[in-house]
Amino acid sequence: MKVFATSTDFDYSWEEVSTSNWRKYGPWNEMTPHVIAVDTLSRTIDPATGILRTERLITCKQTAPKWVNTLLGSKDTSHAYETSYVDPIAKKVTICSMNMTYSDLLSVRETVVYRPASSNPSARTTMEQNAKITAFCGGWQKIKNSIEQFTVERFQQNAAKGREGFEMVLEMSRKVFAEQRELRIMQEAKTALAP
Amino acid sequence: MSASLAPECNEVKEYVLSFRVHSFLRTVSKHEYRRYDSCFLKWYSEKFLRGNATTDECEPLFKQYKQCLGKALKSRGIDSMLEEAREDNRENDAQHLRDG
Repeated sequence: MKVFATSTDFDYSWEEVSTSNWRKYGPWNEMTPHVIAVDTLSRTIDPATGILRTERLITCKQTAPKWVNTLLGSKDTSHAYETSYVDPIAKKVTICSMNMTYSDLLSVRETVVYRPASSNPSARTTMEQNAKITAFCGGWQKIKNSIEQFTVERFQQNAAKGREGFEMVLEMSRKVFAEQRELRIMQEAKTALAP
Repeated sequence: MSASLAPECNEVKEYVLSFRVHSFLRTVSKHEYRRYDSCFLKWYSEKFLRGNATTDECEPLFKQYKQCLGKALKSRGIDSMLEEAREDNRENDAQHLRDG
């Protein structure tokens, strides 16, 4: 098993980050063209805790190198299953994802948590990302190691790209929200002034 | 937001938009909010985060979208893979719905 962990801060409030998180893989993010679809499977509010639980299916274009495809069998698309938990009172978003494709051979489990940053809770948000990677290829220790090593390296590269892409989404969201607000105010003013 | 894996469900999920902010603002009119993803985002940012979420007004749209998606997942054999994933995820539910 290999473990990957990283932490980073965004210069946006927790409310902005938690809202933009739903658009993370949309057209504003130029760093994730491999994500071709995001489908919501279920959405409920837990009556006891008030936590919003969402299940999503993430569909990606397969980008594994040839040697991985030779070992694991080649596929055009891959799927990941994601459950997220939003606690609006504690201001905490937890996102758990796992691979559905190649799951008999490899387990990739990721947890991302967004919380207001302790340094500036009203304007900054901390993201903590953890991943556990385990390959199961019988007794082939060498192959197991190289698959785990490859996956953890991919994770590292993607974490940097993921941050950059999410920054784009955050920036666009802020612009759009500001312009929408302006538009609304203008429309309200127009209505108020109408004879 | 993002497209559905089943193109036939995009009608109720959301149009696949490629746009800049300005064209986006011009095209987002009232009818866009009927699409599920937009409906949800509005509800999430304006009601849920502010503690005003009594009813989920997007539920009827979600039902339509889910019905469409369900068929697509079944025909592609993704539904059985999902059942396995759900099974594996039980411990996350136990942990995160309890802790908050």
